Amino acid sequence: MMELAVRNLLRRRTRSIFTLLGVAAAVAILACLAAFGQGYQRGLSQELDNMGMQMMLVPMGCPFDAAARVLKGKTLDVSLPMTALDAARSDKDVQIAAPLLMAALPRPSEGRTDLWVGVDESIRPLKPWWKLTSGSTWFTDDHSVILGAEAASTELRRVGDTLFSPEANRSFRVSGILERSGTSDDSLFFIPMHAAQEMFHQSGRLTAVAIRLRDPEQITGVSTRLQNTPGAQVVTMTEMMGTFLNLVGAVRTLVLAIAIVAITISTLSVFNTMLSAVLERTSELGVMRAVGASRSQIFRLLAIESILMTAVGSAAGLLLAVVAGRMVGRVVKNFVPLPPSESLLAVSGILALQCIALGVGVGLIAGIYPAWQASRLTPAQALRVE
Amino acid sequence: MINRIVTMKEAAAETIIIEAKGLTKLYRRGAYEIHALDNVSFSIREGEFLSIVGPSGAGKTTLLQLLGCMDTPSSGEMLIDNQSTKGLSDAKLTRLRREHVGFVFQGFGLLPTLTVMENIVLPTLFSRRNAQSTAEELLETVGLSSRRNHRPHELSGGEMQRAAIARALINGPKLLLADEPTGNLDSTNGAAIIKLFQKLNRDGLTVVVVTHNSTLAESTRRVISMRDGKIESDSQPVFNIGSNSNHLSI
Ligand SMILES: Nc1ncnc2c1ncn2[C@@H]1O[C@H](COP(=O)(O)OP(=O)(O)OP(=O)(O)O)[C@@H](O)[C@H]1O
Ligand SMILES: [Mg+2]
Repeated sequence: MMELAVRNLLRRRTRSIFTLLGVAAAVAILACLAAFGQGYQRGLSQELDNMGMQMMLVPMGCPFDAAARVLKGKTLDVSLPMTALDAARSDKDVQIAAPLLMAALPRPSEGRTDLWVGVDESIRPLKPWWKLTSGSTWFTDDHSVILGAEAASTELRRVGDTLFSPEANRSFRVSGILERSGTSDDSLFFIPMHAAQEMFHQSGRLTAVAIRLRDPEQITGVSTRLQNTPGAQVVTMTEMMGTFLNLVGAVRTLVLAIAIVAITISTLSVFNTMLSAVLERTSELGVMRAVGASRSQIFRLLAIESILMTAVGSAAGLLLAVVAGRMVGRVVKNFVPLPPSESLLAVSGILALQCIALGVGVGLIAGIYPAWQASRLTPAQALRVE
Repeated sequence: MINRIVTMKEAAAETIIIEAKGLTKLYRRGAYEIHALDNVSFSIREGEFLSIVGPSGAGKTTLLQLLGCMDTPSSGEMLIDNQSTKGLSDAKLTRLRREHVGFVFQGFGLLPTLTVMENIVLPTLFSRRNAQSTAEELLETVGLSSRRNHRPHELSGGEMQRAAIARALINGPKLLLADEPTGNLDSTNGAAIIKLFQKLNRDGLTVVVVTHNSTLAESTRRVISMRDGKIESDSQPVFNIGSNSNHLSI
């Protein structure tokens, strides 16, 4: 029976292949979507967990945008007063409050812009993934600089080398280089807070304050108190994650709509293929009925053909999702807020099974009517059709 | 020799394997109805070789399909082995068809995707029987052993028809129904098919053919002539050696 079904499909090769491709495309879209969603959510929550901070003080404005820019290693046009840092540090439930000053240093001669970040020692517990390469030390004085792995390799500097910045007319000594972490930190230049404020003429100003609480449970209390800090507002990491997920969720809904349309179209095309197969082969089916095929056997034959087509189609779609999805993932990474460093796509075994199940479902749904139509005819009726 | 066969046939002739009682088939076409079959009654005895003749549209195919349990009559009744088929479910009719009837279609009805051998064993796919050795014998009988792995489009009309006959016999039916078996064949191939039917009939198979071919009709001992859905004449078999010996010698 199986063999008969395969041969029937091969007989109408082109049509079968096109129908199959339709199913494959629809499944690929859906698989990518689901894999992307799972991958992004997992990556994001992992990243935020790693950060070891629960909230951030940022200048007034759109808080989420500001927080996202800081996390991505970008500059802000507005800044916070130093008093915000003091307010955070004096709160009894705050364990660590680390100031950050982000500044862009255009390098016209190199055709790029470097990002410099002023920090102090308090940032270190908040960046648990930071590892200094051997021979590195933390800042020794105001002329020390710590380079991200990427920055070090573009500047061709090693620990102990001097780094002269003609734009700022300053020279630094490389006290340390960070190991590659896959985060935006890799391309940054870290210098002591004082030096940064001086170098970028931002004396007494900050871009943000990263905060770790003694007890994460205290988050509401602390955030209400710090909300009153003049010129500053609080963004909690959970809020941020929620915002990102919402944003991504909106995009996903759109893509999901597309996927549903694609699935519907492919279901209809399987339906069409099967229905015309039944019409074309009516007299053949009549012969089978006449030589002893029962209604259920005819139904089964056509259902197998339909399911076979969609099952193979969704397997192909899954393969496509894994291969093409990786490329798409790389592109998409540039557009989503706070992209996690690991792969955006997580094609799990369960997802694969779901996709195959979906394919079989499509085959079944699209195949039922044509198969029923075929099995309904008496042999005499079927044989009359030429 | 001839005597012996006839004696055997005479004994078998007592058993009625199919009885049609007032078979009527109505087709509705728009506002009016067509009596494709109109109150047809007759019976077929085991071992008979009969032909059904008549002009186009007389209802021959319709009758043959009713005899083969491929359709149900609008009214009237069919008995197979004295068992009424009235009100039987489709599944039961399928079983009857599968076990008792072999059908040879006017257009051969071979599946283009299957080889000769696969076409011949197709019925056993549905009855889930293994009939490999029967199939080998049948291939031999119809003289297609060398063509077993060919596809239908690689065969001549005569070969296709012989393959179709082998397929009709694979489940070991008692009754062979053939609709215009020589209709698409030249006279030489037609004659070969007639010979094959006669051989099968001599071996005990009941054969019913619908035909326009006068040679074929003459070669059967009983001819039912139809017109407008009714039986016009029925040359009842005469179980008498004298009147039929010329046919038996073919
Ligand atoms: N499905 C149908 N719907 C309507 N009319 C039908 C149907 N099947 C057969 N008929 C009509 O019933 C009549 C008998 O048809 P049937 O096929 O039995 O004739 P036939 O004797 O086999 O003719 P031929 O020698 O041309 O094959 C014809 O008038 C035909 O048009
Ligand atoms: Mg006919």
